[in-house]
Amino acid sequence: MRVAILLFITVFLVGPPALAAESVSATMLLESPQAFDGHQVAVVGELIGDYGHRDDGTVWTQLNDDPYAYSPLRDGGRLLGGNVGIGIHGAADLFAGIDPPGRYNRVGPLVIVTGTWRYHDPDRGGETYLEVGSLQVVRSGHPLGESVSMTTLVLAAALVIAAAGALLLARKH
Amino acid sequence: MLRRPSTDDLRLIAYNVARMLLISAVAGVVPLLWAVAAGELAPATDFLVMVGLFALLGGLGVAWKPVKDRLDWSHGMVVVALIWLVVPIIGSVPLLLSGNFASWLDAFFDAMSGITTTGLTLAQDIDHMASSMILWRHILHFLGGQGIIIAALSLFSGAGAATLYFGEGRDDRIYPSVRSTSRFIWLVAIVNGIAGILALMLVAYLDLGFSIMRSFFHAATIFMAAFDTGGFAPQSTSIGYYHSAPFEVVIAVLMIAGVMSFGVHFALWRRRSVMGNLETKTILATFGGTLLLTLVGLATAGAYGSAAGLGRQAFFQVLSAHSGTGFSTIPSPELATWGGLAFGGMTIAMALGGMASSTSGGVKSLRVGLTLKSIAAQVKQVLLPEGAVISDRFYQNGPRHLTDELKQGVTVISLLYVALYLLGGGIGLAAHVPLQDALFESISAAANVGLSVGVTTPSMPDVLKATYAFQMWAGRLEFISVFALLGFVWSLARGK
Repeated sequence: MRVAILLFITVFLVGPPALAAESVSATMLLESPQAFDGHQVAVVGELIGDYGHRDDGTVWTQLNDDPYAYSPLRDGGRLLGGNVGIGIHGAADLFAGIDPPGRYNRVGPLVIVTGTWRYHDPDRGGETYLEVGSLQVVRSGHPLGESVSMTTLVLAAALVIAAAGALLLARKH
Repeated sequence: MLRRPSTDDLRLIAYNVARMLLISAVAGVVPLLWAVAAGELAPATDFLVMVGLFALLGGLGVAWKPVKDRLDWSHGMVVVALIWLVVPIIGSVPLLLSGNFASWLDAFFDAMSGITTTGLTLAQDIDHMASSMILWRHILHFLGGQGIIIAALSLFSGAGAATLYFGEGRDDRIYPSVRSTSRFIWLVAIVNGIAGILALMLVAYLDLGFSIMRSFFHAATIFMAAFDTGGFAPQSTSIGYYHSAPFEVVIAVLMIAGVMSFGVHFALWRRRSVMGNLETKTILATFGGTLLLTLVGLATAGAYGSAAGLGRQAFFQVLSAHSGTGFSTIPSPELATWGGLAFGGMTIAMALGGMASSTSGGVKSLRVGLTLKSIAAQVKQVLLPEGAVISDRFYQNGPRHLTDELKQGVTVISLLYVALYLLGGGIGLAAHVPLQDALFESISAAANVGLSVGVTTPSMPDVLKATYAFQMWAGRLEFISVFALLGFVWSLARGK
C-alpha cells in the first residue's frame, strides 16, 4: 500500500525531480547506508520533532518513514514497533510556511523529500543524513485530539482519596 | 536452622520501603505538573494514578511503623533490593497507560531501564510520546542515578542508614556521616544540573535553533540522561537527532562528570589531584585502550573518509559505552555492523564501566585496577627469587594495602559480572540471537549501558525481556542486595 502511495506521489505530485531519484524507504537507507552514498533518493515521511534553524540559513529536522507517519497511535494507529527516522538537512526556504513538525499533540506534515544521501560526510564530522534538494508536502500536519479515559480518571481519584487517608493514618502513628 | 523473619522484621522493611515510596510520589508530581502545564491531560491522569499508588502504599507502610527502627545489614540490603523493584513496578503504570507499550512487561522493562540508568527501551513511537511521559522516563534516570535512597538519607536518615547507602552499591564515604555524604551527592547533582542544563540550553537555542521552551526540554532531559549515565533521549534517533558537534561536546563533559565517583567530585571541589589514584589511572588507560581498538577497527574497515569524522564518532560512541550512558550518534543497524576490533573495543568498554560509587555500571575501574595489580603481584612472585617481598600497596585517596580480603571481594564481584554477562548472552543465543549480538546486548543490559545493536525490540521474546530486566537490576545493585532479598524470600518460605 505504501509503495503504491509513494509511486502515485512520485509520478503525479512531485514530477521530474523525484523521477530522477531512486524511491527508497528510510529502512533501506539505514540498513544499507553506504550503498546509497551520494545517490539521489526520494523518501516519503513525516517531519517530526523540531525545525532546527541554523545560523547558516539551513534547517535540520527528522523524517520518519514508519507506520506512525501514516497512522499515529492517537489517530487510531496500532503499535507496530519503534520509529524509523533519518536526519534531513536543507535550505531554510524549503521549510518556509510548512506546518509544525509532529509531536504528541500533532501529526507532522507528510512530505516527499528528494535529495542526496550523505553517508559519513567528511565535511560534517562523519554524520549521515539526507541533503534535501526539494520538498513537497503531500499531507498537511494537523492537531491531534486527546481523550481522557473516565476509568483512569475515576481510578486516579479513588487512589488519591485512599492515599490521603493512608497519609493521615501514618501521621497519627 | 533457618530463621523465619518475624512480623517486626517485615514491619521494619515495609516502613523503610514506604518512606522511599513517599519520595517517589513527590518525584511523580513533577511530570504530573508538567503534563498539566503542557495541556497533556490524558498523561496527567496516568501520573495521578501513579502518584496515588506511591502515596497509598507509602502511607500504609509508614502507618505500620515497627516497634524498633534500627536497620541491620540484612534488613538494609532487602530494603534496597525491594525499592529497586517496587519503584519501577509502580513507575511503569503511567508508561503502560500511555499506550506506547505493548504489554506491562514492556513498560516495566522501560521503567527498570530508567531507574537503573541503563537506557534500553521497548517504547514504541517515542517521537509522538507525550513530553511529560518522556520527562518521567528521564526522572527515573535521575532518581536511580542520584538516587532515591540518597534522597531519603538526606532527609531522614536514622539508625542503620549506612546499610541502605552501601546496599545501593556505593562505597564512598565522603563525610563521616552518611547523611552529610548524601547531602553532598545532591549538592553535586544540583550544581552540575544548573551548569549542565544552562550549557545545553544555550547550545540548543543558539546553535541548534530550537525555541526557548524546546531548548529547555531537550536540555533538562539530556542532562538527566547524561549526568546519570542513563541513555534515554527525547527522540528516537538519540543524540544523532541533533547533528551538532558543540552539543555533543557538552554531553561528553556531562558523561565524564557522571562517570566520576562522588569522591572524585569531592576531591576536585577541594582542588585536590586525583591523578595518582589507581582508579583514575585505570579508567584513563582502559578508555584510551578501548578507544584505540575502536579507532583501529573502524579505520581498517574504511568506515570513515576523514580523520575528523572517525575521531568524533569513535570518541563519542566509546565514551558513551565506557561511561555506561548508552547515547549514540549512529543508528543501531550501523552499530551492528561494527565487527572485529571496533566491536571488541565497544564491548570491553561497556563491560568495564566507570568508577565505583558513580552512576555508571559494569565491573568498575577500581576493581579492574585491583585485579590487574593482583595479577602483576602474582607474576612477580613467580619471577622473583623465593622469599622476595612483593609490595601490596596501592594509592586510592591515600596509601592502602591490597589485602587478601580485598582481593577476594574484588574477584567475587568481578566474576559475578562475568557470569551475568554470560547468562544474558546464553539466553540470547537460546532465543536465536547471533553470538556477537547476544553478547553485546547482554553486556549492555548488565552493565547498565543501553547501547543496542537492534536485539532489544518490542518483538523480542518475553524471556529475553525478563532476563535483561533482571540483569539491569542485579548489575546496578552489584548483586549483594539481590542475594539478600533472595535469601529473605527463601527464609520466609522455608524458615522456622
